Amino acid sequence: MTIVSGKAEARRRLQPATSDVLRKMWEHRADYAYVLPAIAVMLIVIAYPIYYTIELSFFNTPPGLQLRDKIFVGFNNYTAILTSGVFWQVTFNTLIWTAASTFISFVLGFAAALALHRDFIGRGILRAILIIPWVISAVAASYIWKWIYHSDFGIIGAVLVELGWATRPPNFIDSVSTVLPSLIVVNIWREFPFAMIMMTAGLQTVPEQLLRAAKVDGANAWQRFWHVTFPHLRNVSTVTILLLAVANFNSFIIPWIMTGGGPSNASHIWITHIYELAFGRQRWGVASAYSVLLFIILMTLGYFYVRALSGNERKDGSA
Amino acid sequence: MTRSTLGGAVLRGTVSTALMASLMSAPALAAPPVDLSKWSPEYVRSIAGTQDFDTAGDCGKVTPLDYKGRLTFWYQGVFEGDPDLLRQYYKDFFETFRKTYPNIQLEEQALTYNDLLDKFRTALLGNAAPMAVRLQILGGTEFASKGYLQPLKPEDVGYSTEDFWPGAMKAVTWDGVTYGIPTNNETMAFIWNADIFKRAGLDPNKPPATWDDVVKYSKQIHDKLGIAGYGLVARKNAGNTPYRFMPQLWAYGGGVFDETTANPTYKDIELNSAQSKAALQASYDMYVRDKSVPVSALTNQQADNQPLFLAGQLGMMISHPSDYNVMLDLQKKATGTDKDKAQTVIDNMRYGLIPTGPDGKRAVVFGGSNIHILKPEYVEGGKVDEPAAKAIICMWTSPEWSLKMAYAGSNPGNLNGFKTKWMKERLDSIKFLDVTTSMLPYGIPFPALPQSPEIMNIIVPDMLQNALTGAMTVDQAADDAAKKVKDLMGGGL
Repeated sequence: MTIVSGKAEARRRLQPATSDVLRKMWEHRADYAYVLPAIAVMLIVIAYPIYYTIELSFFNTPPGLQLRDKIFVGFNNYTAILTSGVFWQVTFNTLIWTAASTFISFVLGFAAALALHRDFIGRGILRAILIIPWVISAVAASYIWKWIYHSDFGIIGAVLVELGWATRPPNFIDSVSTVLPSLIVVNIWREFPFAMIMMTAGLQTVPEQLLRAAKVDGANAWQRFWHVTFPHLRNVSTVTILLLAVANFNSFIIPWIMTGGGPSNASHIWITHIYELAFGRQRWGVASAYSVLLFIILMTLGYFYVRALSGNERKDGSA
Repeated sequence: MTRSTLGGAVLRGTVSTALMASLMSAPALAAPPVDLSKWSPEYVRSIAGTQDFDTAGDCGKVTPLDYKGRLTFWYQGVFEGDPDLLRQYYKDFFETFRKTYPNIQLEEQALTYNDLLDKFRTALLGNAAPMAVRLQILGGTEFASKGYLQPLKPEDVGYSTEDFWPGAMKAVTWDGVTYGIPTNNETMAFIWNADIFKRAGLDPNKPPATWDDVVKYSKQIHDKLGIAGYGLVARKNAGNTPYRFMPQLWAYGGGVFDETTANPTYKDIELNSAQSKAALQASYDMYVRDKSVPVSALTNQQADNQPLFLAGQLGMMISHPSDYNVMLDLQKKATGTDKDKAQTVIDNMRYGLIPTGPDGKRAVVFGGSNIHILKPEYVEGGKVDEPAAKAIICMWTSPEWSLKMAYAGSNPGNLNGFKTKWMKERLDSIKFLDVTTSMLPYGIPFPALPQSPEIMNIIVPDMLQNALTGAMTVDQAADDAAKKVKDLMGGGL
């Protein structure tokens, strides 16, 4: 076949394909019209800020200058971040915060869901009580926990001293070694009900007949859980963990209100550090560079989230 | 209380210290309405109630009382640590303004000290700022240097520059141009609980004379009674921290720059000088070595010290005269035996001058707030109603309202406020007011630089936290802070 006839063949193949796509798009024109406003809003409130943040990350914004007078510095902000000791401290804190909060919230939430999956008197009330931390405002919860933890007149310290178990109140949030674990406890307290709800929903989809069949086959409770229930919950678990991880990576309220990132940066995580850089120190350029890095990380997590959801859909479709 | 010795101490201080010169060194010191060289509690009493002012009449000359317009206005208002009395005066002010200017549609918004800067900066980036704003003293130069503010001097609203503290005028001046008017100026004092002093074996009527004494007294109180001695505050991004640490730093002879001198140049960084390190060491000794201050110092604010003090769990602290009224408010809310305990603390509350450093240097932050008008291009809608803005500024900075809005915790920005009948009433009703007023001559303004908010709200508290948590040694923390200031002044990232 000559080159000319090859091209003609390719055009012939392409034309029906292109017209097919256009025809399908035309058939779904109403659907596109429905989503168009949402896409327009997203372009304004998401796409432009993302573009502007990326642009700003290449500029220096000294406190004596307006933002419009920013100075182009190329990749200097990124270099400054990656060579700064604070970056690594904050990154380490963020990883600990995200991993510990996500893992323990999930495990506790799953355990609570399993416990409450059985039918017993008062189950509904218990479920409602366990959901309370999740529905309470994070701001109010942070202030309450700050008071509970207070190193001088906190309720935990007062009880321990009153019972004679401590000579002085323990130092929860005023010590570099205990502040992050203390905040993680608060975060877990607030988040595990979310995992519980998700896993409860998942448990309700486990086919009862499979469990009965396994029981008839002689499987004990653990074997039924491990070989029937748990595999069935794989996708909902993945989604729950990813959602928790993204939420934890983006956490702001609890650490900011309770400690402001202190003492001595020991509870600064990425978001609080970015906020302080931008609004406290007006380093819009450096804060933007941090945000771009965070965006990349979160988009990666988002990719896995979408993949997990797509996996679910594929499975549902093939079932 | 050692009130009888205050006059002498103040007079000696006014003559001998360069701090006074710092406040009086502005060129516009032609004919102030009060004689600053005579400043003493007795002098303040002698001028109080000697002159009447017609606020509406005076402001009517600036903006006619029937003027029709619209004004958006943000201001640093009362917060949880303020007394109820002050809340009432704020309420009264806006009611009076609306009555005086019934045709001005006022849209005001109150924000707390710690929130205002963040919100205002964000609004400016989106050209959504209010037409007028009342900012803490730290903010003026930052926004003036960036070109957000319109030139505004006391003469624009019917007063003269000499009507205001020269030191306060420095804080609203950038590159030789005045960009705002002081609403109030404040200095704090040293507060102690005489009963705690007595039980700890200290003289109940004698406050610590030096900062080294504060360290000793704090330890003695803690060792004898098991409670906190001194109310250290070291939270980051909170105005309370620099207001309490800087007097200590300056008293030891340290500073961020040369801000304690009569004509500061802000060229040399002094945060890691031997004197500055000695001040930081004193805080370290109290927090780490002696454990004689509240453990929560790293995350708390002065509002957290107030209940500790009222509960008899804290021996000494630095604060406003308003803290006495705050204690009365808190005591009213207490129940059962707590009410009596609180009353005992109030009865034993004493005010004195802030201690000196080893060389006899006494210092306090010359704080306060200023009021500004924004340029139209940064305001929502792109327009500024200047007559309306000047009307509210004239009223707030008038002798009457600059006094009333500072009634319990501060001092009037307009020096004529000291001459009003309300000053006389205030001296009689606000206990210990004369002590804090006596501290005014020792007041040192924060460096009038756009970088000051970051230095005072972030770098200085960071230095304290790094030293007090053991993350760094005292030397390392001071050197680290000095380096951060150097980088900041150099325009670094």
